Amino acid sequence: MIEHYLSLSVLLFCLGVLGVISRRNVFVVFMSIELMLNAANLGFVAVARLHQSMDGHVLALMVMAVAAAEAALALAVVILLHKHKGNLDTNIFSLLKG
Amino acid sequence: MFDVMVILPLAATGAGAILIMLVAAFETFRREGISILGMGLFAFAFFIQLTVDNSGDIYPFAEVFNGMLVANTFTKVAGLIILACGFFSALAAQTYFTQNKGFVLEFYCMLLFAAFGMLLLTMVAELITLFIALEIMSLAVYTLVGYDRHSVVRAEAVLKYLMLGAFAGAFYVMGAVLVYAGTGSTSFAAIGAVVADSGYLSNPALVGGSFLILFAFLFKAAAFPFHAWVIDVYDGAPLPVTAFMATAVKTSIFAVLANFLLINPEVHQGWVTFLFYLSILTMFAGNLIAIGQQNLKRMLAASGIVHTGYLLIALVALGSERFSGGAILFYLAAYGVATLGLFVALSYLSGQDERRVSFDDFRGLAKVRPYSAACIAIFLLSMAGIPPTAGFMGKFYIIAGAFQAGHAVLAVLGIVSSILSLWYYLRLIIVMYFREPEQRFEVAELTLAPLGTIVLAVCVFAISFYPVVL
Repeated sequence: MIEHYLSLSVLLFCLGVLGVISRRNVFVVFMSIELMLNAANLGFVAVARLHQSMDGHVLALMVMAVAAAEAALALAVVILLHKHKGNLDTNIFSLLKG
Repeated sequence: MFDVMVILPLAATGAGAILIMLVAAFETFRREGISILGMGLFAFAFFIQLTVDNSGDIYPFAEVFNGMLVANTFTKVAGLIILACGFFSALAAQTYFTQNKGFVLEFYCMLLFAAFGMLLLTMVAELITLFIALEIMSLAVYTLVGYDRHSVVRAEAVLKYLMLGAFAGAFYVMGAVLVYAGTGSTSFAAIGAVVADSGYLSNPALVGGSFLILFAFLFKAAAFPFHAWVIDVYDGAPLPVTAFMATAVKTSIFAVLANFLLINPEVHQGWVTFLFYLSILTMFAGNLIAIGQQNLKRMLAASGIVHTGYLLIALVALGSERFSGGAILFYLAAYGVATLGLFVALSYLSGQDERRVSFDDFRGLAKVRPYSAACIAIFLLSMAGIPPTAGFMGKFYIIAGAFQAGHAVLAVLGIVSSILSLWYYLRLIIVMYFREPEQRFEVAELTLAPLGTIVLAVCVFAISFYPVVL
């Protein structure tokens, strides 16, 4: 059973990575990162069941809390960028190019 | 009781941050008052950290929380470096914001919260605590980069940093899942025991997880394949924040890496091959980028990549016979002093709205402001590793350690890279001393930065006398 859960978790994680790499919209990129974190959460809970320990549950809760904090900051940045440029395509942000 | 003593500096920093947050709500405190308060709180936490005696390995919550934190002399000195970096960044900010827009009273609050996360990060002994400490630090630093809402450059910098930082954070979390699946525990000691028992290769989940965690740390430390963001983010951030990121963040990341690799030789052995190649690539990639830069902030960011390379050499040599984390901390202190010194000097020399930032803007500085130019020259020579500065001693300890560990190739390449780096450090010195001045370099009155610059210039020499047991 545990293999199935871990496979699903890794699959979701890879989907998230794909989303971050291929999408150009800031909003979708942040959503993909959330997907990666939630994939990890699924893995934590499954492994906690496998090892019969509570560490995984605690870590999953912590990840949720941190993901919420990060989402709050990300949304603030999205609003900030929209105010400046009126668009959320990452290609138009090119002031810092080295 | 002793547990509480060990985390007292941590508590002082956190309480200080909350105090500033509350105080900022009142009309009576203005920029000057808050600046002094912020610096005072950093100094206060520094002295508490100095007085806490934690020699030997101490697990503060060994009985209550299953060994979440560890404290030893290594973590103590790393904490001291971080708090000193915080103090001088706050000092740079005090001066910087007399001539630049975009100040909010909560600036120092975020600075202290970031320092809180970093102190915690140096003491972690466990994957959950590591993640939380990492995120406390990162979230505060993201905010510091982008709090000036009216500047498009800052907004772009924070977007890049947040997007890539959160991406790296997700890699870390997935890595933690796999390591937890492979070993059944999240504590460093238990992971180390499993590695020592059966090795990495018999445990595919552990190998995969370690790689993902390594990626996340290489990102945060700005090492080779993940170094590109650093130039843009450092360039886009306000000067004092760049100073803080370049020094304190690097210190905490290397402290936690060293803490992890020092558990036992088997853990270290599995990482050495990768760190070996990464350190070489990081040094030369950083040098190549730095040579092409016209902007001082970008040059310093690129040279920060090179210094990451040297620290990776130290990690390769770490744990081998008679080589402890002392050399890493010495190098971090030497690098921190020189970098902070440059940024503190820039904070009053760059003028209104960061006008002077390129090499050419500092033409003839030595004729107009001889003392500032002399201090900047000292910092640059220390970063390049010219004796008798602290930077030279730091490089000496690291290269001697690499020789002792049997990595002669690494030591020689380290020396080559250090010679290459002279190119861009000496360039600024030449521009300052051998060109005719075109500007008057007027600075704001009544600021602390000139004094801070001189103190740091003295520190460059003072630190080089401090002996490190190799």
